[in-house]
Amino acid sequence: MSTDRQPGEAGLTAGFERLGRNTGVAVRGALARRDGRTLFAAAGLAYFLLYLVGLGHLGLGPPDYAVSVVSNPLTRAFRPVGPFQWEPIALVVVGPVELLVAPLNLLLGGVLASLVGLNLAVSVVAWRGPSACRLGPGAGAASGLPGLLSGVACCGPTVLLVAGVQASAGLLSLFRWLLPISVAALLGTLLWVGSRVEPAAK
Amino acid sequence: MDRSRRQFLMTLGVGATLGGAGCVGGDDAATGGSASEAGTAATDGSAGPKPPTADDRLYLAYDTGTLEANIVSGGVPKDGIPAIDEPQFADTPPSGLEPGDPVFGVVRDGDAKAYPQYILVHHEIVNDAIAGHPVAVTYCPLTGTAQGFERGPVEFGVSGRLVNSNLTMYDRGTDSWWPQILATAIKGPLTGESLREFRVVWTTWKRWARAYPETAVLTEETGFSRRYGVDPYGQYNETRGYYSSPRTLFEPLQGDSRAHPKAVVVGTRTETGALAFDKAALLSQRVLTGHIGETPHVAVADTDLATGYVYANPESATVEALADGYTLDGTTYDADALPLDRSLAFDAMWFAWAGFYPESTYVD
Repeated sequence: MSTDRQPGEAGLTAGFERLGRNTGVAVRGALARRDGRTLFAAAGLAYFLLYLVGLGHLGLGPPDYAVSVVSNPLTRAFRPVGPFQWEPIALVVVGPVELLVAPLNLLLGGVLASLVGLNLAVSVVAWRGPSACRLGPGAGAASGLPGLLSGVACCGPTVLLVAGVQASAGLLSLFRWLLPISVAALLGTLLWVGSRVEPAAK
Repeated sequence: MDRSRRQFLMTLGVGATLGGAGCVGGDDAATGGSASEAGTAATDGSAGPKPPTADDRLYLAYDTGTLEANIVSGGVPKDGIPAIDEPQFADTPPSGLEPGDPVFGVVRDGDAKAYPQYILVHHEIVNDAIAGHPVAVTYCPLTGTAQGFERGPVEFGVSGRLVNSNLTMYDRGTDSWWPQILATAIKGPLTGESLREFRVVWTTWKRWARAYPETAVLTEETGFSRRYGVDPYGQYNETRGYYSSPRTLFEPLQGDSRAHPKAVVVGTRTETGALAFDKAALLSQRVLTGHIGETPHVAVADTDLATGYVYANPESATVEALADGYTLDGTTYDADALPLDRSLAFDAMWFAWAGFYPESTYVD
C-alpha cells in the first residue's frame, strides 16, 4: 500500500499512472524471461482451448477431413446467439477434431487467454522474484474462471445440469455478466501484481 | 464413420419471410378447424400476416396472464437458436443418423418426411412445406415434445423464452408468443388463440424408414455451422443426461409425483381438458382408456412405429387388440384408423405435461 498520500484528482491520476507504468514493467519483465514466456504461452493456449471446449466449439467427432463455410459469413459472424457468443461461420474437421469457427468468439477467447497467460506469468515471476509478493501463482489464472463459465452458458445454461442446480432468473442474469466479470478480474489481478512491483528491482 | 460434407453450405438468412416466396396459403381441412384467411392482414390490430388459428381454443389450466407471468429467459436471445427456414432433404439418411436414433415423422397427402432429433436439437423449429402446405415442425428438447403446426403465410422462430421449460415460439407476422405444448398464444396480438395442429410421430429412424421406405429425411445442410453430433442436453438411443435425469433445468409450473419427471406420456388435450397415457404402459398393454371430463377416451398402440393414438370414445365402444390391428364392432382396423374421432396426441415428458395440465388424468 502506498504511503505517498496525495489528496484530490491529481493524486489519483498520478496513482493510476504509476500503477499502469509498474504493471507495464511487470509484464515486460515477465515476458523478458524464458519461464515467463513459457508460462504465458502454455497457460494462454490451455485457457483458449478450454474456452472453446466450454463453448462447445471444439471437441471430438467422427473422423473426417473437411471444411464447410456458410454462404454469408460476413453477416453471420456478427449475429449473436447468446451472451458474448456469436454465430459460427465454418466447421473445420481434422481427423477426430471438430472446430466451429466463430470469429468474434475466437477474438474474445484470444483476449481472455492472453490476460490469463499474462496474469500467470507475472504472478510466477513476481513470486520467484526478490519483492515479497504475497500473491500465489494460481490467483491470476483463477480470475479467468468466470470467462470459462461464460463459455459453457451456450444453448441455455446446460452447465447447471452438471452442477445439479436449477436455473433461476438471477443465475441466468449472472451468466450474462460472467465474461465482463472475468475481464475485470483478470485486469484487476494484473494491476494488483503491478502495484507490488518495484520498478527499480532488476 | 465417414461423414461427407459439402464445401459450401447453401444458406438462407434468418428473418427472411415467405411473403412472395411461393408459399400457397390455401388450407385444407386439418386438426383445429377452419383457418383464418391466409395471407390477409390480421384483423387483430397487428400489421403483419398471422398464422391460421383454430375455431376453438384449446384447454388451458391457467389463464394467459398467469402463463405470461411465468415466462422465463432460456439464456439465449430471440433467434439465438436459429430455426431452419430452408430445409434440405435427401432420400438417403445423413451418415450421422443411426437406426435407433429418434426422428420426428410426418405424413401428409402421401408425402412422408423425417426430421432427425439430433439436427432439431440445435434448431427446434423447421419452417417447411409438406405436400404444398406451409408447416412448422417443432421440437423442444427440455420437454421432449415434437409437434406440428400450420403456419400459413408466416414463419415461426425461437423466442429464447420458456414457460414450464417449454419452447416458446414467436410468429414472424404478429410477434405473438406461443408455448409449443399449449399451442396457444399467451402474449401478443393473438393472445388466447390456438394454432392448427397436425400429428408428428416420435419414433426411430429404423421404424420410420421401414414403415415409409420412400420417406425424405432432413439433412445437415441447414445453412448453419453446427457440431451436429453433439447434443448439449444428453443422449437418446441409450438415454442419458437430461433426458433421463429426474432433475429439471427450470422449476415446473407444478410438481407431480405420479410418475418419474422424465417418463414419456402420450398426451392429448381438447377444448375441455387433458389426458395422458404412460407410453411404456400403452406399448405393452396396447389399449388403455381414460376420461377427459365425462368423455371416455381410448388409446391404442402402433407397435410398428412405437407410438400411440388417442380417440374420443363417447359410446365406450369396446376396442380389442389383435395381432394385426384392433377390432371394434367386429371389424379390424389399424391403430391410426379406428372409426372414432381421433384426438391429436404427442409424446411429452411427464413433468412438463403435469406442469401445464395439473388436473390431467394419468393412465398407466
